[in-house]
Amino acid sequence: MPCEIMEKERTGIINPIFTCQPCGAQYASIGIKDCIGIVHGGQGCVMFVRLLFAQHFKDNFEIASSSVHEDGAVFGAIDRVEEAVDVLLMRYPEVKVVPIISTCATEVIGDDIDGVVNKLNSGLLKQKYADRDVHLIPIHTPSFVGSMISGYDVALRDFVIHFAEKTKPSGKLNLITGWVNPGDVTALKHLLAEMNVAATVLFEIESFDSPLMPDKSGKSHGSTTIDDLKNTANALGTIALNRYEGGKAAKYLHDKFDLPTVIGPTPIGIRNTDIFLKNVSKLTGQPIPSSLVQERGIAIDALTDLTHMFFADKKVAIYGNPDLVIGLAQFCLDLEMKPILLLLGDDNSGYATDSRLLEMTEKVDFDMQIITNADLWDLDGRLKRKEIELDLILGHSKGRWAAIDNKVPLTRVGFPTYDRAGLYRHPVLGYAGAIWLAEEMANTLFVDMEYKNKKEWILNVW
Amino acid sequence: MPYHLFKCSECIPEREKHAVVKAEGEDLSFCLPLGYLNTIPGSISERGCAFCGAKHVIGTPMKDVIHLCHGPVGCTYDTWQTKRYISDDGNFQLKYTFASDMKEKHVVFGAEDQLRKSILEAFKAFPHIKRMTIYQTCASALIGDDMNALAQEIMEEMPDVDIFVCNSPGFAGPSQSGGHHKINIAWINQKVGTVEPKITSRYVINYVGDYNIQGDAEVMVDYFRRMGIQVLSIFTGNGRYDDLRGMHKAHLNVLECARSAEYICNELRIRYGIPRLDIDGFGFEMLNESLMKIGLFFGLEKEAQAIIDTETARWKPELDWYAKRIKGIKVCLWPGGSKLWHWAHIIEKEMGLDVVSIYSKFGHQGDFEKGIARAKKGTLAIDDPNELEAVEAMEEWAPDIIFTGVRPGEVAKKLRVPYLNAHAYHNGPYKGYEGWVRFARDIYNAVYSPIYQLSGLDISRDDFPLDQGFKTQRLISNPEIKDENGERQYSGQYDCVTPLRSKEYPPYPEPLSKAI
Repeated sequence: MPCEIMEKERTGIINPIFTCQPCGAQYASIGIKDCIGIVHGGQGCVMFVRLLFAQHFKDNFEIASSSVHEDGAVFGAIDRVEEAVDVLLMRYPEVKVVPIISTCATEVIGDDIDGVVNKLNSGLLKQKYADRDVHLIPIHTPSFVGSMISGYDVALRDFVIHFAEKTKPSGKLNLITGWVNPGDVTALKHLLAEMNVAATVLFEIESFDSPLMPDKSGKSHGSTTIDDLKNTANALGTIALNRYEGGKAAKYLHDKFDLPTVIGPTPIGIRNTDIFLKNVSKLTGQPIPSSLVQERGIAIDALTDLTHMFFADKKVAIYGNPDLVIGLAQFCLDLEMKPILLLLGDDNSGYATDSRLLEMTEKVDFDMQIITNADLWDLDGRLKRKEIELDLILGHSKGRWAAIDNKVPLTRVGFPTYDRAGLYRHPVLGYAGAIWLAEEMANTLFVDMEYKNKKEWILNVW
Repeated sequence: MPYHLFKCSECIPEREKHAVVKAEGEDLSFCLPLGYLNTIPGSISERGCAFCGAKHVIGTPMKDVIHLCHGPVGCTYDTWQTKRYISDDGNFQLKYTFASDMKEKHVVFGAEDQLRKSILEAFKAFPHIKRMTIYQTCASALIGDDMNALAQEIMEEMPDVDIFVCNSPGFAGPSQSGGHHKINIAWINQKVGTVEPKITSRYVINYVGDYNIQGDAEVMVDYFRRMGIQVLSIFTGNGRYDDLRGMHKAHLNVLECARSAEYICNELRIRYGIPRLDIDGFGFEMLNESLMKIGLFFGLEKEAQAIIDTETARWKPELDWYAKRIKGIKVCLWPGGSKLWHWAHIIEKEMGLDVVSIYSKFGHQGDFEKGIARAKKGTLAIDDPNELEAVEAMEEWAPDIIFTGVRPGEVAKKLRVPYLNAHAYHNGPYKGYEGWVRFARDIYNAVYSPIYQLSGLDISRDDFPLDQGFKTQRLISNPEIKDENGERQYSGQYDCVTPLRSKEYPPYPEPLSKAI
């Protein structure tokens, strides 16, 4: 079979593709307005995640720690959560949403974060913060289960479970984006605006890209409100772009409130964006306008300039968030490229039955490996042992050395991309994303040709 | 009362004793904040954990070692590619990180088998690497895996490999400092004395507490080498595992970062009688003193003086060029621990900066003693400042620049205060004579950046000036300043460290045992 799905052969990890669940829950939490999460665990579980966000966005995000020290690890540390909630609420009067995010340490010692939330709700919040609308939400994200991907999925579901409340129909569409960048949200909202569709976007993260203002007021934060979350129950339907990041929340809304629901495909590339727009149209009754036909045409035009001359038969490896990897692989196939290696960095049991992956095993006619529970050594090692040859790698910055040392050009895409400037500002989704991705890939290849003197003269007459 | 309670912390009054403002005539008996105590939960402190203190800060700078964490994958991922601790032979320690990838079933049934397989796979993937450190994490500490016994077993099965075990889970102490202590003591207990090093010089040191940030340690070792001193080991920047096993044979421990590495020096003194000499690689005067102290210890004053003379002649005019222009710039100094006192005094003395506030993330009271003793009236000192306190202090003490980490640096950016990375540096190295000029240049470029002029303009106002034209940094600083005595801007290369690696040195003075 030319294309097969297999699990990484090794037991341990050499250069991970993902970090652990609490990071995903923290990424979801910063998308909510007036929300500061408390991560119940050691301080590193917050400090490094905040650093990761700061590296990626070149901005600061607020997340708190319960600062579990040795005594807490021995005698239980649930009192640290009580104190953390109080300290946080006293000092941040605007805070309304406080997810309590567990970690491996506090799950192992068995701290009852659900119990403490009940206790605080009936005690501290009533007595001391009666005049404030405060929501404490326990989120279980032990680090030894899943990855940052499932952490995001679980947290988003738990936020929706906590808030979603049936009142009157909002006429809006729920758009669950998954783990994306501000640039993607801009591109998606543009598509919906062209279709005249009002949507509740989970999460509104364009405000992650915050200004440096003369009056010093700039600050990066999420903008999804409590009302937005409540109203998810009253939508006319839900589209979750990613199966693994937001799929759980979409399923909950479907099961609980009987909302028409579409999960996927991730609108990367022309074909998937077409399907996305058709899905929006079906759910809302709004037609796809001529302006989008035009926009699509501009994208197609841009891709046509590149595809046969530069992309055809180029061998590509892709790693990162699973829906992103799959979407990019599908896009590469449309661009005549050969995605010969896909790396999915956790052991999610859903991969075995993912129809998009199964389609590849059925239809791909060149040698292709899809590795689950993979690490970056699955890429780097294959290159070093000369088992594969690649023209291009698509992935995030943690794979930079696999690219640099093996002299394969890397187009940065996904999270985190701290070793290139400003990528969070650009979309990979929608027609705009298709243009940006294809041109970024082409320009990466061009620079590589010039540095390696690989037919660089071909660009003389392009 | 010198204590300072921030408005934002009035509701957590225990914070009061963590901040002081030095008043007229006050000394340390009045004016010393509490330090190294448990963090207040929910305060949004900037502290890390004891795991990262051990693995990330002290363990991973060792360059010929597989660094493997026993735990879920996050601890490994998070402490990878967030430092500039380089090595001179390809940066294996930056490029590769390893995890046993503990999953739920291992939490229930134990993860020793998982760890064993991960260890063997790692050695198989990198057959040229024969040394490994295994780091405990919160999860593996709590389930109680016996990593020491497993490491011992594997070393018996594979006689050509050596494994060091560091038991420093994230919760072991109020901050990363707990991990510094744990790995210091673990190393001397497990590894020092297990290799007999080859002594090739009459003068032999361990260089301790330098992590080769952007090449710091390589710059310092160049000076030692020029003096004829053999550097037996570096703890741990650009350091080799087996060199560090032979630390017991040095004549002197030359200690740089006393916050993170004094523990091993103290133990080496107690167990092997090796004296500890604290030095300071930041600043011309401190470098002069440090090289001369080492010179005095070995009788190498002439050699030390030769370096001091050469380096001063080469770089002092460049330092002075910047010092004249950054004089009076107000600084907030917010490093981890020891740079608090390594930098506070000397940047005032040699660059004319005005240090208005000194903070520490994980320093102990001893660090504040050294910092505050030299601080002037009105200086603010904070132990473990949290985010709101830092912002409040930035408004009240109004520094022109802040030396800190990435995240607080981003907060400062929004307040239109430029930041320099105190942990990883902007364009380092900052140690050594040339490095000190590079530091001054980074400060100059940051505070006189045209971008901060633009960022202050509000284009919605009527008086918005459109006819200013551009200004170079020099025009913004002070165009009237005249260059004297050959003063000039920095003239070194973008990369000043790589050339050191191919440098040739005269032979060492032979060891006394051979000379006799």
